Amino acid sequence: MAIEVIPEPPRMEPSSPLPEPASISAPDPKRHPHVEQIERVKISFTALVVLLVLAFILVVLFSLATGAVRISPATILSALFGHTPLTATQKIILMQIRLPRILASGIVGAALAISGLMFQGLFRNPMADPYVIGASGGAVLGACIGIFFFSQLSLLGFSATALLAFAGSIVTMTIVYALARTNGGTNVITLLLAGFAVSTMLSYSSSIFELFDASNGSNNAVLLAWLRGAIGVPQAMQLGVAGAVLLLSCSCATPLMRQLNTLALGDEYAHQLGLRVEVTRVGIILIGSLLTAIAVSLGGLISFAGLIVPHIARLLLGPDHVRLLPVTALSGAIFLVVADTLARSILSPTEIPVGILMAFIGGPFFLYLLRKTKRSYAL
Amino acid sequence: MIPLLQFRNVSFGYGSREVVRNASFDLHAGSCAALIGPNGAGKTTMLRLAAGSLRSRTGEVLLSGTPLSAIPLKTTARTVALVPQQLEVPFQFTVRQVVEQGRTPYLSVLRGLQRDDRIAIDRALDLTDATNLQHRVFNELSGGERQRVKIALGLAQQPTLLLLDEPTQSLDIGRQLELIDLLHFLNSEGITILASIHDLQLIDGNFSSVVLLSPHTSLSTGTPGDMLNPSLLEKAFDCPPRRHPMLIQRTQRDSRRAV
Repeated sequence: MAIEVIPEPPRMEPSSPLPEPASISAPDPKRHPHVEQIERVKISFTALVVLLVLAFILVVLFSLATGAVRISPATILSALFGHTPLTATQKIILMQIRLPRILASGIVGAALAISGLMFQGLFRNPMADPYVIGASGGAVLGACIGIFFFSQLSLLGFSATALLAFAGSIVTMTIVYALARTNGGTNVITLLLAGFAVSTMLSYSSSIFELFDASNGSNNAVLLAWLRGAIGVPQAMQLGVAGAVLLLSCSCATPLMRQLNTLALGDEYAHQLGLRVEVTRVGIILIGSLLTAIAVSLGGLISFAGLIVPHIARLLLGPDHVRLLPVTALSGAIFLVVADTLARSILSPTEIPVGILMAFIGGPFFLYLLRKTKRSYAL
Repeated sequence: MIPLLQFRNVSFGYGSREVVRNASFDLHAGSCAALIGPNGAGKTTMLRLAAGSLRSRTGEVLLSGTPLSAIPLKTTARTVALVPQQLEVPFQFTVRQVVEQGRTPYLSVLRGLQRDDRIAIDRALDLTDATNLQHRVFNELSGGERQRVKIALGLAQQPTLLLLDEPTQSLDIGRQLELIDLLHFLNSEGITILASIHDLQLIDGNFSSVVLLSPHTSLSTGTPGDMLNPSLLEKAFDCPPRRHPMLIQRTQRDSRRAV
């Protein structure tokens, strides 16, 4: 490999004999045996999506079968294909109690996972999650205010509670984002501390409502369940609106995903590449907050789901957000349906709020991530 | 002929600290220029101003005669690429995924990568000899490999003006020369180059013109022969000429020529 300084000052004619770029250097492939390993871990995108859809169907089926009254998956399947009809009681249990709840947990899981993915991309940091950074706390506080003061009010078909949850989540996100940003980057420690402080303040503010409520008692159970993170049996209307908002957010989020890849290079670089960074950022905060608000309106304060799911999806598929979006949504739905099924059946007939279960699963995982990221994600 | 890049009385500062003061210079298409100056003289700031990521306080930066502020963001990004000193990428993005981002100015909201985008990416990787790195994780590359990938990312923008911030920094002498060769090759392909260079030894013979930026002298441009003049460098860099081997060598050579 002959390398030498070009002796005469080059006058830069296109015809001047210049070294071929191929001669610059040829990295030795033997030096990097781990390259193949990384390749092997990643699964084909289509295969993964198909696999996840199948897994979702299976999980829903088994979740439908699980409960105090056991209805076997075979019975459900044969009823579905019109062989043997269900009894009236079975029908009520499946269609009015279990299915709405399963769908609600699926929506909550998908919404939390996608908003986790978006916040992680925006903060360029795998520790971000709607719960950790306080967006969920903001939504809960907003919703509490709604329940207490404006329970009769509604706007364009949305209850004041849902709208205030959305507002609470956006305001909190904006505050934490502003606090955590320094010189175009987000410091991990500042982000976690700001998120911690803000969500602690918010969750205790929500507890104040609990005190006020002790005297009249009407909403108490609702509020308690919310703060613990329990998915109840939603009304059809609520489920429909939440599902529609989830689909709408997903379709609005799709074009933002490629922009999140560009934002990974940093705000300034993304701007140099012609990206309107401010527009992208506002879009992500709005959609992420909307998704958090849906999740909170159905399931209250559920921790860590938005943290674990995108992380695992990234391990399987790499960091490309465009591909991560559908995979994260499906995995999030599967994850929370499983978690909620466990929550209602482990200590049956007593139900554990799924938020408590998630804290037990998510806490250790978060700590593991914290240890691991100290090395590989230092920004 | 209208210069490709033109600074007209540009001033810029961070907060109350003024970094660039009343800077004017022209960069003509086809040149391969080095931007030199002492630490903190504002070399990086000049490059960021030229790339449009900073807006000048007073004065104008013009691209082919049009003020940068009047050119749409995407059009600028298709013309000028800035290869930064540091590039930190979170998550395990592969080299190819990083270089793909260079196509951002050519994509619309709903239109993903097309055939011509892939061709541009392949070419950028090929030119920088990074094709065999494309499936590696960017964060796991060595300094020299990283530098090549950063340039590939800039080339994916298909720029006519390539700005590089200290491209030879933290490279060993062998990799420095490889980089200079690459710059020459890109220059021969019609790309105008402006690179901030810390190591003055690399300039002679490798760059067609030099822009000197210093708080102690006014901004000046010229050929390497004129600009690497010991008395000018002494003043610009505030460096005693008898203490630095390069200045001693140049002083001796100049005096020999005079005889």
